[in-house]
Formats: sequence, structure tokens, C-alpha cells
Amino acid sequence: MTITLEKVRAVLVASFGVAAEEVGPGVTLAELDVDSLALVEFALIAEKEFGVAIDEEEITKDFTLEDVVSLIAGKRAHV
Amino acid sequence: MTEVAITGMGLITPAGLDVASTWAGVLAGRSVAAPDPALAGLPVDVDCRVPGFDVDTEIGRRLAWRLDRYEQLAMAAARAAVADSGLDPKTWDGARVGVVLGTAIGGIGTFEREHRNLFDGGANEVSSLLIPMLGVNMAAGYVAIDHNARGPNFATATACASGATAIGVAMSLLRSGACDVVITGGAEASLTPTIVSSFAKMKALSRSGTSRPFDVSRDGFVIAEGAGVLVLERLADATARGARVWSRLRGHGATADAHHATTPHPDGIGAAAAIHTALADAGVLPDEVDHVNAHATSTPVGDVTEATTLRKIFGTRPVVTSTKGVTGHTLGASGAIEACLTALTLHHGVIPPTAGLTALDPAIDIDVARSARSANPEVAVSNSFGFGGQNAVLVLSKP
Repeated sequence: MTITLEKVRAVLVASFGVAAEEVGPGVTLAELDVDSLALVEFALIAEKEFGVAIDEEEITKDFTLEDVVSLIAGKRAHV
Repeated sequence: MTEVAITGMGLITPAGLDVASTWAGVLAGRSVAAPDPALAGLPVDVDCRVPGFDVDTEIGRRLAWRLDRYEQLAMAAARAAVADSGLDPKTWDGARVGVVLGTAIGGIGTFEREHRNLFDGGANEVSSLLIPMLGVNMAAGYVAIDHNARGPNFATATACASGATAIGVAMSLLRSGACDVVITGGAEASLTPTIVSSFAKMKALSRSGTSRPFDVSRDGFVIAEGAGVLVLERLADATARGARVWSRLRGHGATADAHHATTPHPDGIGAAAAIHTALADAGVLPDEVDHVNAHATSTPVGDVTEATTLRKIFGTRPVVTSTKGVTGHTLGASGAIEACLTALTLHHGVIPPTAGLTALDPAIDIDVARSARSANPEVAVSNSFGFGGQNAVLVLSKP
């Protein structure tokens, strides 16, 4: 599975109440109301969906979705 | 004594998603109890859910997913109440705005889901959001965030009296000068299999699935969910800004039975003391009271004890109703929902019927409204009694 913006978008729409049209590569998690508490939830879901563990230190709410895709894709490359 | 006014109301109840539809449903006397698929297979499978509550439009999806349903109901009712008051949170001095909201049980639906996650998948499966979804204080916290309300902020917990207790405490915050505005009321969403099973086991719930306050064949309450939120201000402030005043809030009485965990004192001494305290606080004599919105949940013991207490204090003068025949019993929200309904009764001059009542219990000798009655009451009492023997009584009057 290639990690794409589409797949991250699907997670945000399904579990974080975000509308699909709000999700672009340059949008930050904070702009989608994904705060520190929600970020913990995001990491849990990402682990299930994408098979990678994301530590709290590796991601912040200021990450753009492009950053998120890169982070997950980079981790998968090293699995 | 500082006079207090109700200038905003928001209702999300099984009878309707706003004040107008709830009032219409209550006046029509239609019970909304129905079998609930979520309770299928349990000894009691009937409840009163809020029908068609759309969190996407009421709350917004980005926020709604991180709120327990009791918080969603509270948020929606609070937004409606603040809008109804005509006050603007963008321009008010938030430091002078308090929030006091009651709930009996809090975010139990979320807790049950996460508890299952713990056993099914281990600690990593438990949501980091459980705590802010579970806590009884969190509805007040979220309403504060939503409205820039930075004054006193807390929850009240007196079981089924929690909503009325909240309103009584909110009134004291205005009288003391601690706040200029208080957003107050109650919310409840505890229609879970565990909660319903426990209430059923203690024989509190109606096996026939019908709420029949004061009826000879009543056999327990029908559990319900909902929220009622009010905006309170000092009457002088409300008048100065030309606000519409639904009613005045005149008095609050709070007592304990100190008798039993779940059974009211057989002589109703705690309830009577709460009524007397509320009347004294309001400066109202018993024979000035025209109407009582009773706690009457349709339990065999509770209804007759309350009716006997009312008879002793008021005689047969006030017209008594229990709106729980329509809405069911919303536990920690009921005192707030019924305070709103009492204010609406004063505002419209019509006393709602007690739905489900066909044959008055012969042991009950009070004037119970069986159909909607145009009576133009001036002064009304709203009773709320909780497990733990915790009693809260409010006195309201026309503006």
C-alpha cells in the first residue's frame, strides 16, 4: 500500500469530523482542530490503518498533511 | 433581595429539538416512549430518546466526535439558550459569565465503549479522549469554551435533582454579585444497557413501558435523555437592556432526607423542608402558589409521597402536573427541563397535562391536570428529588 494524501484524508474524514474538501496537502492538523489530545487518537488510528507506530515526539499539530504523509511513508520504508 | 430573571432557554428533549416543539409536545400530552434497539433483550427495553438529533448541524462534526452525547446535548441546548437570550458572547465580559450544569451520571456511554476496548484490545485501545468525555464537569467546561465564559464554572451532582440544583446555585452567583450572567441547567444521556439494567433491577423502571405519574396503575419511570439550559441575569440588567423575560426565578430550597439511599422518607420531610425553604427564599406564602411542576416520575412510592407532601403544604389549591408523562425521566436534566417548562407555563398561562394519567390513585388528593388547563398562574414551584435523598425545589413567578 502506498501512503497517499487520499488515505490520510479518509482517516481524517472518518474519525475526526473533517470534510473531505477541507483536506489539502498544505493544511495543518491544527487547522483541522486536531489538537494534542486528538493527535494521540490519530497516532492510534494510523498504527491500525498503516501499520506504523508514531511516537508523540515525532508529530505535532503543526504538521501539514504533506508532512504527515511523508512521516508515515518514511516509517513504512524502514519496516 | 436581588431579583433574577430567566432570559434565555434551550431545550433538547425527547419531545422536541427546541423550546417550541418541546412545549407543543408537552401540551399535546403525547408520550414519546418507544422500544429502543440498543436495549433489546434487556428486562426493560423502552426509553425516551431525543429523536433526530443531528450532531453535524447542531454541534459541527469536528467538535462532535470528541464529545460524549451528554456533552453534545448540553452544548446544543446552551447555544440555543444563549441565542434566545439575545446576549452576544463576542461582546460580553466573559469573566463575569458563569456556567453551572448538572448531570446525574455523565459520559457513561463513552465509558462503556472504552471499557470494552480495554478488555478486547488492551490499554493501547483506550481513547485519550475518554476522560474529557466521561467527567461530569466537562459539559460546563465545553460550554465555557464555546461561549468565552470565564467566570465560576462547575457541575452539580444531586442525581435526579442535579439540573434544579444547578439553577439554584446559579441564582446565588447572581445574588452574590459573583456573576452578571450564568448559563445553567442539566444534561443527561445515560440510556446504556448497564445503566438501564441496574435501574430495572432495583425496580425503578416501568415494566409496562409507560410513564403514568399519579395514576393508580403506575409501575415505575421511563428513562430518558435530554438537556435543558437557561440563561439567568439580574432582573434589573435584563430590564435595562430590554430583554424578553420568560419568568422570574424567585427561590431555591435544598435539603437532604438523611434517610435511605434510594427511597424517599415516608413522611416526605426532606421534600417538605425543601419546599418550605424555597418558599421562604422567594418570600412567597404557600397559598400564593398556583401551580406545581411535580417531580412525580411514575414510581409507586415516590408519587404518593410527593402528592401527600404537596397536600399538606398547599392543600388542593395549586394545579399540579408531571411533564414526565410525556418526556420520561431525564435524570440529571429533568430539573432543568422542568424549570424551562414551568417558565413556559407561566409565560403562556397554560398548565400542561399529565400524560399517561387515566385513573388517579385514590391515595392522592391533589388537583392534577389531566388535560391542558388555561389557568394563568402567577407563582409556580418546580420539584426535583434525587437518589441520596437530595432535594432541590425552585420557585418561579411571572415577570
